[in-house]
Amino acid sequence: MLIKRTQQRSQIASRGSIAAGMSGQTNDLDRRTFLRRSGLAGGALAALGTLPLAGVRKAKAAAAGPLTSGATVRKSICTHCAVGCTVTAEVLNGVWIGQEPSWESPINRGSHCAKGASVRELVHSERRLRYPMKLVGGQWTRVSWDTAINEIGDKLLEIRQKSGPDSVYWLGSAKMTNEGSYLFRKLGAFWGTNNTDHQARICHSTTVTGVANTWGYGAMTNSFNDIRNAKTQIIMGGNPAEAHPVSLQHLLEGKELQKANFVVIDPRLTRTAAHATEYVRMRPGTDIPVLYGMMWHILQNGWEDKEFIKQRVYGFDDLRKEVEKWNPEEVERVSGVPGEQLKRVAKMLATEKPATLIWAMGQTQKTVGTANVRASCIALLLTGNVGAPGTGANIFRGHDNVQGATDVGLDIVTLPFYYGLAEGAWKHWARVWEVDYEFLQSRFDSKQIMETPGIPLTRWFEAVTLPKDQVAQKDNVRAVFVQGHASNSITRIPESLKGLKALELLVIADPHPTTWASLAVEAGRRDGLYILPVSTQFECKGSRVASNRSLQWGEQIVKPVFESKDDLEVTYLMAKKFGFADKMFKNIKVENDLPEAEDILREMNRGSWSTGYCGQSPERLKAHMKNQAKFDFLSMRAPKDDPEVGGDYYGLPWPCWGKPEVRHPGTPLLYNTNLHVMDGGGTFRPRFGLEREEKLPDGTTRKVSLLADGSYSKGSAIQDGYPEFTLASLKKLGWDTDLTAEEMATINRVNPANPDAVSWSLDLSGGIQRVALMHGCVPYGNGKARMNAFGLPDPIPVHREPIYTPRVDLVSKYPTLPDAKQFRMPNIGFSVQKAAVEKGIAKQFPLVLSSGRLVEYEGGGEETRTNPWLAELQQDMFIEINPGDAADRGIKDGGWVWVTGAESNSKARMKALVTERVGKGVAWMPFHFGGWYAGRDLRDNYPKGTDPIVLGESANTITTYGYDPATGMQEPKVTLCQIAAA
Amino acid sequence: MARMKFLCDADRCIECNACVTACKNEHEVPWGINRRRVVTINDGKPGERSVSMACMHCTDAPCAAVCPVNCIYTTADGVVLHSKDLCIGCGYCFYACPFGAPQYPKVGNFGSRGKMDKCTFCAGGPEADGSKEEYEKYGANRLAEGKLPLCAEMCSTKSLLAGDGEIIAQIYKERVMKRGYGSGAWGWKTAYRETIES
Amino acid sequence: MASFARFIRLTLGALAFLLVISMAGPCGAQQINPTASSVKEQQLLQEFDRIQGRVSIPDQRSGILIQPAGREWREFRDLTLRWIGGITILGMLAVLIIFYLSRGMVRLESGRSGRTIVRFTSFERFVHWMTATCFIVLAISGLNITFGRPLLLPLIGHEAFSDWSQWAKYAHNFLSFPFTIGVVLIFLMWIAGNIPNKVDVDWIKRGGGLVGHDHPRAYRFNAGQKAIYWIVVIGGGLVAATGYALMFPFYLSGIEGMQLAQIVHSIVAMLFIAAMLAHIYIGTIGMEGAFEAMGSGTVDVNWAREHHALWLEEQNARTSARPQPSASAAE
Repeated sequence: MLIKRTQQRSQIASRGSIAAGMSGQTNDLDRRTFLRRSGLAGGALAALGTLPLAGVRKAKAAAAGPLTSGATVRKSICTHCAVGCTVTAEVLNGVWIGQEPSWESPINRGSHCAKGASVRELVHSERRLRYPMKLVGGQWTRVSWDTAINEIGDKLLEIRQKSGPDSVYWLGSAKMTNEGSYLFRKLGAFWGTNNTDHQARICHSTTVTGVANTWGYGAMTNSFNDIRNAKTQIIMGGNPAEAHPVSLQHLLEGKELQKANFVVIDPRLTRTAAHATEYVRMRPGTDIPVLYGMMWHILQNGWEDKEFIKQRVYGFDDLRKEVEKWNPEEVERVSGVPGEQLKRVAKMLATEKPATLIWAMGQTQKTVGTANVRASCIALLLTGNVGAPGTGANIFRGHDNVQGATDVGLDIVTLPFYYGLAEGAWKHWARVWEVDYEFLQSRFDSKQIMETPGIPLTRWFEAVTLPKDQVAQKDNVRAVFVQGHASNSITRIPESLKGLKALELLVIADPHPTTWASLAVEAGRRDGLYILPVSTQFECKGSRVASNRSLQWGEQIVKPVFESKDDLEVTYLMAKKFGFADKMFKNIKVENDLPEAEDILREMNRGSWSTGYCGQSPERLKAHMKNQAKFDFLSMRAPKDDPEVGGDYYGLPWPCWGKPEVRHPGTPLLYNTNLHVMDGGGTFRPRFGLEREEKLPDGTTRKVSLLADGSYSKGSAIQDGYPEFTLASLKKLGWDTDLTAEEMATINRVNPANPDAVSWSLDLSGGIQRVALMHGCVPYGNGKARMNAFGLPDPIPVHREPIYTPRVDLVSKYPTLPDAKQFRMPNIGFSVQKAAVEKGIAKQFPLVLSSGRLVEYEGGGEETRTNPWLAELQQDMFIEINPGDAADRGIKDGGWVWVTGAESNSKARMKALVTERVGKGVAWMPFHFGGWYAGRDLRDNYPKGTDPIVLGESANTITTYGYDPATGMQEPKVTLCQIAAA
Repeated sequence: MARMKFLCDADRCIECNACVTACKNEHEVPWGINRRRVVTINDGKPGERSVSMACMHCTDAPCAAVCPVNCIYTTADGVVLHSKDLCIGCGYCFYACPFGAPQYPKVGNFGSRGKMDKCTFCAGGPEADGSKEEYEKYGANRLAEGKLPLCAEMCSTKSLLAGDGEIIAQIYKERVMKRGYGSGAWGWKTAYRETIES
Repeated sequence: MASFARFIRLTLGALAFLLVISMAGPCGAQQINPTASSVKEQQLLQEFDRIQGRVSIPDQRSGILIQPAGREWREFRDLTLRWIGGITILGMLAVLIIFYLSRGMVRLESGRSGRTIVRFTSFERFVHWMTATCFIVLAISGLNITFGRPLLLPLIGHEAFSDWSQWAKYAHNFLSFPFTIGVVLIFLMWIAGNIPNKVDVDWIKRGGGLVGHDHPRAYRFNAGQKAIYWIVVIGGGLVAATGYALMFPFYLSGIEGMQLAQIVHSIVAMLFIAAMLAHIYIGTIGMEGAFEAMGSGTVDVNWAREHHALWLEEQNARTSARPQPSASAAE
């Protein structure tokens, strides 16, 4: 039989209208529906995104065919990237029988990519992990959940006893819902460690740090839909056509409608670059020279936005000094990009406005990642391209909830919502959680370690294997509990094998055993390894944050399959085992060990004032999903007169100020002064003091204000810069009388000793925010964005060659930062770079190696490589190599090659893809493969029946040392390798 | 009566393969059978374009003409369908097809080239619309439900258009007019003996 | 005849395809505006006979996007081939019928001697009949593919025709193996007697005796038989080779190769069938005493003298040199 699907579906089908002729039915589709479905919304036939939706709904109802008649339709969010596509599922008798286009979603308008169009398979996959297992003497053995939780818990408590709480590493996931990642972070806090991390560390940690240090919040400023307004789109260090395909709907339509410049700056002629109006090929690792090269032309020609800089930017003169060094000759010498081309692009950015800069991991995954994104922000500030439609730093994030997991603080440097780790932050969360601060402190080894950032996940194995005295905590890491993270997406796999062997306990909670399991067995582990089946996100409900900061509530499509459990339940079971479940779930309803997602979101609402997650109640989010069709496609706003979602922006993009009752509509564009704050307007956030002392050339000093100068959001009662709101400042303005007695009481409770010091972000009543909004002011204040981000390792971005660079001649002029101690660990990048130059590594390994995404797979790739519909499309790991380099080495397209890396005698066997996508001297690998190591197929290491269909060498077997000083980001985007025919 | 056609706007196609997996998902197409595929021309070079291709449901379809057992027919909507009950798996339709659309399970195994399978424009086969038999042999019949092929409905960039030929031609024409470029309605001349003037 | 011209063009075209098989398309110089320099379908089709690119699935043949050549192959299959087949097969039948009606069976002029001589061993006969049986089934099942749809389908209806065609396809595929083995054995067994020589020239000049009434002398195989031999060996070889190319798709070539293979296969098969009709005619009702050669394996000495005088002399010389008690040859 060629085709087979569940019996149920066919049965419904047969109940349907068989009478409908094969030919006649299409006439039922009215023209409008038809056009919408054909994706017309670009032409004159239908104005963009403004199709009357009533027509669509009517047509849909009329068209409801036999398949939909019996099935329930449930909506959730695609789990594969952060565009936030709605997935519409048809469910019958608990079985997910079909997917339909989600026409009503203002984000994806029915579309999906290869991954989104095949998510149904993830749930019913026969290769899912079905029950908990443990490795006993090298054999995979089935155990019950109770046994697993008890044994794991006992071991963890034993390690805690012996080595302290910091010896357990809690590795969470960007795939979890907000509620799941928030609970996981809370578990870390109650356990007593800041060693809680997730994928954002290896994708956009540098963005979050760099961008937040520039203007307040580390997130995409605008939205995918808003890119349609841009007259110039510059994509630098991203390949959204493969990594965020549905975003290209907005980018390409925007390009067509605006006749926009579509510039792609990338070492690779990607699928995105194929549609560019201007393609700039650069040497990997030279983002800062290229950006400065553009700024040089901008300053040279006076194209900068002087008014914008004067009103809203700090540190322009410091920038000018650095940019002056980057004349076209030097830029071309370093990056290979000709000056004339850069001048053209610079002119577009500065004069064909609005212009937006789009990036992803091409900029972030470097030792200079933070500086790269800072330089990008600076380019936008210089040209006044922030805070208006069509402008902005449009940072495309990579997992369905990586923005959310970052926001809820599943991170080593902060508690939820960027409160940091200082005493005040802990006290704030103690108040929200209604536990004693002293209790929390007692869970940690010391108050000092409680306020010290944890170890980045990029270096978990070094925390295991380094000498104890080099790891600045009580003891080495002895156990890793990983829930939803791949091991092959972390660089330096040969080194991580040592860590995998040395651990006392490794727990992998995931729908698939992941490469952790196969590599751990390969490393020689025979015991102390548990794998727990956790359900996919389609089997649980909760909110997810798309890249554009919109929150979307996903329904549970089907119940967890096999013996798998919801993330929330696993976290609860661990907390129960550790004995603090009562405290941790004090305000969260738990039924049959499953905490209620809605309650968790409500708790977050009560504590997330700093980031404006306070207005997105579960009720509002659910109303948005129900009323998706009402939101305008371009502005993403619902009509003001709608009873349920009137005036809201889709998904209440954060910050959504005040309590839900305030009905703040969300902020679709950050820092947009053209709108009233209650319509989503905003200003730059003064987060780094109110003024700064600067040294002048003559030795004297002067104080410079960091508040905005003459710029303010529409309708603001204060028509100039202003600091964040506190009770004291309300009093000064005489606005404290607007606070209700109840709000005043809560403020007094927050800080009984000094209520005046209670700020907008600590006030649990929301009163201070409400009053500020009432007067048209932004609660966090109105400051300047920083070109000079004092406090960062390089306050003004400085070009630094990658640790492993082919241009050894440039290392002396542009060396990496000196060795230092960061995140409890030594960062010896400088020594490694120096040694590489001295040993002549670049001669032995002359090719630059970069890595990136394929459209068919995601992340470590286990779940997507298990999906036959996707796996069939990419069956072999490969490396892209330029025809010239291939010819030099006798390598043929499709032939097997050995790739060798610059460290640990690493080697990997894969196929060659000979293509001009990469320039001469550059090679590129996809990073989703795993299950092979150094030429060996590890299929037998997986528990039987759980091995993905497609296995292959991991790119990170070859990648090397290199960590961003500000975030611990790894450097998989630029290293060195050699390739030889196998 | 509508005349159903496919049109892939290569200036929008990004080879995301959503059309491919949507097809697999909707019809549970097994491994090795590719009713739809995306081909990239001039890969890695400036001017690179990707085109999603499946059965184009040709006017005067060559597959139907050469079929020794006459099992391929055109519906009133202009959709080219076939009967797996009648097909003998000879491979002739594959020789005649300009688009490489016909697929055979276990191609290459001696003597067992199975029944031909191809894109049905989500219109099933000769069995009763929406019947179990139809589903098992040909997949879902969306057309009978008033829906269009899922590949086009789910296309990430609205590059792949499916529907009444006149309407999609008009959409494409307007797109080209608006943006000022277009690499052509790929396959139209061969399949329908017409082009879209732009 | 237009269709025939197309067929020639297609054949040449197919060969040309093989030459450009690995070419993916025109490569422009490095340009900075990918949108402006995008490939255009019309331009590609004008430059190449097909459009080809890269696909990620292992099935690389799916990288051929558009290949309009199928149109011409269709023309060949639906029109040209039917004409070729019709003319050759019906033409041959007509010729044979006319010949039979006008000349009747070629009789043994001297009557039967009553003495026989071994002409074909049992192994030779086995090989002949195995090949012949396969050939008949292959011919009928093959003709069904070309002529079944217009001729047989309307008579027996869709389902019966499909069932029959399915079995015919299986038979065609499976019997190809014994047939091919047979052709190889025939080639080896009888190559010695089938090298053309001077005697054949004389034989041909005299029309094999059909013109006039004398019998041109011949060794074991006369020129006519040699022609059949070579038709079987070469034709059989060709249909076998092209047939396997079709049966194992993509092992040897792509679509254009298979189209070409089908063209060669079908034309050779039609000519082959026509030739075999003549062979069957002459071996049965066309000539007295001929069937016995493949029937019992022995022929009357008089038949041998009239049709293969030189061979008979050879045989006699051999037996007299090495006396054989069982020899039935007369002298």
